[in-house]
Amino acid sequence: MKVIYKVTDIVLLGFRSLTTHKVRSLLAILSILFGVWSVIAMLAINEGARYEAEQSLRQMGTDKFLIQSLKPPQDRGAAQQTGRALYYGLTRADHRRLSESLPGLLGEVAGHETRKFAQYGTRLVPVRVFGTDPSYLQLRGLRVAAGRFLSAADELRCRNVCVMTQSLARRLFGYEDPLISVVRLGGESFDVVGLVDTPGGSTPEVPADLVSNLVYVPASTERTRFGEYSILRTTGSFEAERVEVSQIIFHMADERAVLAGAKIAESILQREHESPDYEINVPLDKILQLQRQRRLWNIMFFAIASISLLVGAIGIANIMLASVTERTREIGIRRALGAKRRDITVQFLVEAVTLTTGGGLMGIVLGFVVPPIVQAVLKVTAILSPPMLMVPFLMAVAVGLVSGLYPAMRAARLDPITALRHE
Amino acid sequence: MKELVRLEHVHKMYPMGRSTVHALNDVSFVVREGEYVAVMGPSGSGKSTLLNLLGCLDRPSSGRYVLGGRDVSQLDDPALSEIRGQHVGFVFQSFNLISQLTVLANIEVPLFYQGLPRRERHPRSRELAGQVGLGNRLDHRPAELSGGQQQRVAIARALANDPLLLLADEPTGNLDSRTSMEILDLLDELSRRARTIIMVTHEDHVAGRAHRIIQMRDGQIHSDIDRQRPEPSG
Ligand SMILES: Nc1ncnc2c1ncn2[C@@H]1O[C@H](COP(=O)(O)OP(=O)(O)OP(=O)(O)O)[C@@H](O)[C@H]1O
Ligand SMILES: [Mg+2]
Repeated sequence: MKVIYKVTDIVLLGFRSLTTHKVRSLLAILSILFGVWSVIAMLAINEGARYEAEQSLRQMGTDKFLIQSLKPPQDRGAAQQTGRALYYGLTRADHRRLSESLPGLLGEVAGHETRKFAQYGTRLVPVRVFGTDPSYLQLRGLRVAAGRFLSAADELRCRNVCVMTQSLARRLFGYEDPLISVVRLGGESFDVVGLVDTPGGSTPEVPADLVSNLVYVPASTERTRFGEYSILRTTGSFEAERVEVSQIIFHMADERAVLAGAKIAESILQREHESPDYEINVPLDKILQLQRQRRLWNIMFFAIASISLLVGAIGIANIMLASVTERTREIGIRRALGAKRRDITVQFLVEAVTLTTGGGLMGIVLGFVVPPIVQAVLKVTAILSPPMLMVPFLMAVAVGLVSGLYPAMRAARLDPITALRHE
Repeated sequence: MKELVRLEHVHKMYPMGRSTVHALNDVSFVVREGEYVAVMGPSGSGKSTLLNLLGCLDRPSSGRYVLGGRDVSQLDDPALSEIRGQHVGFVFQSFNLISQLTVLANIEVPLFYQGLPRRERHPRSRELAGQVGLGNRLDHRPAELSGGQQQRVAIARALANDPLLLLADEPTGNLDSRTSMEILDLLDELSRRARTIIMVTHEDHVAGRAHRIIQMRDGQIHSDIDRQRPEPSG
């Protein structure tokens, strides 16, 4: 009991001596506050960036991976030239072989893409026409915003129907209702039956202005109306390309099957293709990679922000040393009246820790305004999480202990007689 | 009366560069409970050194110091702090009050380090303040008090833990003669109530209040005159 009274009293004593130097204490608290705040801000911004990057990867789902045809580097000349058309990428044979040999495969869907112009009234917009099956909706993780996606009947009857991204619809139709409109694609008329959100994730070799200009049509329709050739207009010349399959999505049983399947697919394709005219895209892998990368960034940001905490710590140590010198006499008096060295140490440590804890608490409170401020000023997402608030706070407390320890011990080691004579 | 303080061949040396200062040189004496002792002597003769030693602020370089039957000459710092807190009361020439604290809080400091809960400290320090005539100044800061009043607070503080030994190093050194008288009257009063007092002073009329006068010279006891045996407490 006696000890508890004494400890709480000495803690109170430590608190009270802070109020006698209000401005000094406030400045010390501020230095810690900004340190804590900058650590929180850095972590929150980094977390926000990670979340945004992951969000687009997660859209397709971590239980899937995707293989895309890729135009090989021209200088290698490895791509097969058939006439004047550049022939490259995944083949129907690849598709069949992969579907048969991947363990844990739940489903798969392929698509073929051609570049066309979409025309509505006087508006002419370059688009990517993507011929695929109804199951693409689910496997690609698309969200239907209006109307419906392609159906089995569309596929069977080779209907001239299409689904397009909302942003494309806005560009083509403006304020008119796309779902009752007819759009012309490469000389054919198509009924618009649905709208989807623009899919996230990486789209290699697609010019930025084409990323969201996507039109989905039934695979049968696409094959019969447009074929496998794309005509690309480049400055001064025409260039023809032939690709059998543009993209295949594999839906696997679990994440282990995803990673294993991607490896098997890689080795099969390596055998069949002379040049790297395909790309295997594993969102799960990317997410893991992203997380590793972010962790590294976190450590770096953390280190940088910690420097401001360190500066705060030096400030606290400085203030505490000044306080010890200034109060040498008081220390002598207390020692003469029965204070043990430990009592003096605790008193000064409590002062230092109170300063930094106060700064830490205020830093946490101000930390809550990080996301809105960052959003408003930097236009990026910042996300807070409990550890992000706790870690800098605990660091602040630790800073108090560490920076207060030396001054406190110095105070405690003073010889009482010398201290009493001080001044 | 019971023996309270026993010094046996106590030496205190301070190293000063290559030489050493012999502040106390073979000092031996006994103080019994209830005695009122004045220590006199020229400046530098070792009076303060002796008092610090008696108050367990310091340890003898050699020799024995027995306080209340316990040999304290070789105790470590925490043990000495404990003894100071429990059994010794100090009154200094320069008062040595803590300037941020009120009168009441100053008187409480020794109780504080004894771990007395706040609700027991308050009435005790209030009562002590009343005893030294400062019952109406409880919430004042030392800077708001006269020198004599400050020294009264210091005496109240020295009595807070009901010490075996009250040590005063020139308690009237910073006071005018009228206030000095009041402080000395207060000490007389304490002595009458069987408090053991050892007081350092330069002035004969101050020493005249004590029952016994120890004269120091060059770290040694030059004379030790018992003027009057303390009356047994009633
Ligand atoms: N910490 C110390 N270091 C070195 N020498 C010291 C120390 N304390 C005291 N002395 C020396 O010890 C001797 C006795 O000092 P002390 O303070 O006891 O004298 P005093 O009798 O109290 O004198 P005064 O009447 O002036 O207060 C002096 O010569 C002093 O210089
Ligand atoms: Mg002296």
